[in-house]
Amino acid sequence: MTEKENCILEVRNLSKVFDADTEREKDVLRNVNLSVARNEFLCMLGPSGCGKTTLLRCIAGFESYEGSVLVNGMERKQPGIDRVMVFQDFNQLFPWKTVEKNIQYPLKVNGIRDKAELKQRTEEVLAKVKLSGQEKYYPYQLSGGMKQRVAIAKALALKPEIILMDEPFAALDAMTRRELQEELLRISTEEKCTFLFITHNIQEAIVLGTRVMVLAEGGRIVEDEKNVIARPVTPASEGYGEIWERMHSALYK
Amino acid sequence: MKKKSIIKLVALCMSSVLLLAGCGNGGQDSKEAGGKEAAGQEVTLNLAYQYGLAYAPLGIMKEQKLIEKAYEEATGGKVTVNWNQMSSGADINTGISGGSLDGGFMGVGPAVTGVTKGVGYKIFTNLSGQEHGLMTNDENIKSFDDLIGSSNQIALVNIGSIQHIILGLALEKAGKDPHALDSNLVAMAHPDGMAALESGNVSCHLTSSPYIFQEREESNLHEINDITEVWGKDDSFIVGVASVKLHDENPQLYQALCDAVKEAVDFINDSPAEAAKITCEFDGNSEEDELAYIEKSKYSVETSRLFELASFMGRTEFIDSTPESYEDLVFDNVTGD
Amino acid sequence: MDEKKRQIQAIVARTIFIVAVLCIWEIVAKSGIMGSNSELIFPPLEAIGAAFIRNFQTGMAGVSLWVYIGNSMALLLEGLVLGIVLAFALSGLSMLSRIFYDIFNLVISICDLLPGVALLPVVIIIFGVKPGVIVFLVVHAVLWPMARNVLDGFMAVPRIYVEAGMNIGLKKSSLLWGVYLPAATSYIVSGLKVGWARAWRGLISAEMIFGVASCPGIGLFINQMRTNMNNAEMYATLIVIIIIGLVVQYGVLSPIEKCTVKKWGMSR
Repeated sequence: MTEKENCILEVRNLSKVFDADTEREKDVLRNVNLSVARNEFLCMLGPSGCGKTTLLRCIAGFESYEGSVLVNGMERKQPGIDRVMVFQDFNQLFPWKTVEKNIQYPLKVNGIRDKAELKQRTEEVLAKVKLSGQEKYYPYQLSGGMKQRVAIAKALALKPEIILMDEPFAALDAMTRRELQEELLRISTEEKCTFLFITHNIQEAIVLGTRVMVLAEGGRIVEDEKNVIARPVTPASEGYGEIWERMHSALYK
Repeated sequence: MKKKSIIKLVALCMSSVLLLAGCGNGGQDSKEAGGKEAAGQEVTLNLAYQYGLAYAPLGIMKEQKLIEKAYEEATGGKVTVNWNQMSSGADINTGISGGSLDGGFMGVGPAVTGVTKGVGYKIFTNLSGQEHGLMTNDENIKSFDDLIGSSNQIALVNIGSIQHIILGLALEKAGKDPHALDSNLVAMAHPDGMAALESGNVSCHLTSSPYIFQEREESNLHEINDITEVWGKDDSFIVGVASVKLHDENPQLYQALCDAVKEAVDFINDSPAEAAKITCEFDGNSEEDELAYIEKSKYSVETSRLFELASFMGRTEFIDSTPESYEDLVFDNVTGD
Repeated sequence: MDEKKRQIQAIVARTIFIVAVLCIWEIVAKSGIMGSNSELIFPPLEAIGAAFIRNFQTGMAGVSLWVYIGNSMALLLEGLVLGIVLAFALSGLSMLSRIFYDIFNLVISICDLLPGVALLPVVIIIFGVKPGVIVFLVVHAVLWPMARNVLDGFMAVPRIYVEAGMNIGLKKSSLLWGVYLPAATSYIVSGLKVGWARAWRGLISAEMIFGVASCPGIGLFINQMRTNMNNAEMYATLIVIIIIGLVVQYGVLSPIEKCTVKKWGMSR
């Protein structure tokens, strides 16, 4: 496979200005270029306000921007199910639908009507996030961690090529967070899917990512390297300390 | 916990008592009004009237302070008269029975209803008579026969109003059931009814002066079965009622009220042009129109065919109980039949 | 358990309140503190009770109150359905077109201020003297508060639901149907409550002013009883109106609330 064919997502000269032509005008992103390989797990670190969330939202199609976003070489401007987003907000599930319906509704919207298939896919993804048997609950009856699991299951059920995750675990307590990191790591190795994962947490980035990246103001990429530490990564793994050091210094320079 | 809930309940009851007591106060205060005689003392008189030409003498009484003058002449005391404009006889009936009004002016229909229902008032004077008429915009409608059993709609001011009763009278005179047209009626205020007739939304309109004069001038409308013959301008239309309490407890004030009405009626009959100048403002007409309408009306303190009408109302179930005699309806100073 | 206790407490408190009000009514009626005619204005409870039965047995002009209620309810239902459908349709259009939204918002603000009864003369000239006039007034009473609530509800839909919807491929009308509508349910339910109360009141006041004798409704009945000074019958009819209102509130609106926003944990 050539490098070009292996590249699933390409961002070219992407710029984004907030409050254009006003006093508060701010370039959030300036000429960002990025390419992501198929089945890569790219973790993006960056200080608050560096534009990483905006970059993800541009890729997802929620924002207007200059430049282009290509998926498999095709330009994308609108949201689409080839790039599904998992938000940080626990409220991303529809409160008026049960867990099961929350997972099935996107499938129905996208033309899957067969009852048996819907059921089978639901069971499959719920098993992946370890929520089997919780189909009938409404979101308000779930804990934050469970809601995020459902959100991941919902994204997986759509079988997207890219899953975009914007600090999905940031609002969870440390224990739940650790648990979900492990689940996601397992899922990411099992699934044929590319992940773009934003986080504040260097440890999280190193544990999950096959590639880690640090963004600075304006979306400038200041550090970008393959994570070659053998999985599963723990702080005791060989090379962990060095990569952590490099990320840390890039972040707080 | 238990104690707390009891306290809450008590508070609840208290608040509801206060609520009702508050509502009751209005009645209490006004009970003072119009009571207590004692010459020379300041008294209050609360009167209600309605809108329109038929009430013209009241504009003069109000403007020239006739009640105040008559009372001062007779007793040397002062009276404050509160004039309240109300929109229906039923409202005035409620006001008088609640004690917040001492008297008022209304159509004979609600007045007879009020007297027979025991609101606690009687008729103390006649005020005016007007012309009434039944107009139609349909050439094919010539008599009641064309209306009975048809889907033609007849607009009039209210079900049970004097216009409705006059229609019943006319039907009876024509040998029909007085209620034969009840299901054809539509209740609409006079101007709305006129607009509906002109635009063809109803086929008939039974109305009174001045609307009837305006409708008679329009070429595409014609009059059915002369209602004027059955109940004309010489017959009682608007009367004054006064509470029995006012009559019994403050005869001097009662007399001043009667005298003032008489004086106003005389004034309007003797010098209609001057009267029109005063009342045109209240009625919103030009002075010429007002004068023309006044001249087409009849103002008199003497009732006409009042008892006949009341008996008809009782007999044909417009009211529940029939008055026994003319004296049941009016105070003893009233003349007429 | 605690919930049950609270419910019982509420029932007891309400019962005591109602009994207290009735007692005060009876005292006012019987004691004559409102003047010698107080029985005329405040008929004692037994008279109202008797009138209540009489209303349904003999009624007015030989027609039972049931018929009047039936006439009113038919017009009301017609107006309610029309008003609610219109409110949804127009609010939905406003979400799809910015220009339509701007205009419709202005229209709501203006029309919501107009008392339906004040429109009667105009409506009669346009529609003629038909029961349809009453339907029009009911639509007028429901449409604007309902549309206002639906629009406010759409505006208050959290951004995250909209993005989650777009994320799974919803666009324009499917987004409206799949996200905006269910997310605004609590607003819609409160719109229904306001709309229903306005419609019920609007219907009766319209009927009191504009009485079509060929299709007589509750409003006409009340007005007639008032004109004839049959106050006991009038109060009895008011009680009927209250009962119907409560039946709709607890029999229709509360269950709707229970199977939607309450079940979804969007409201307590």
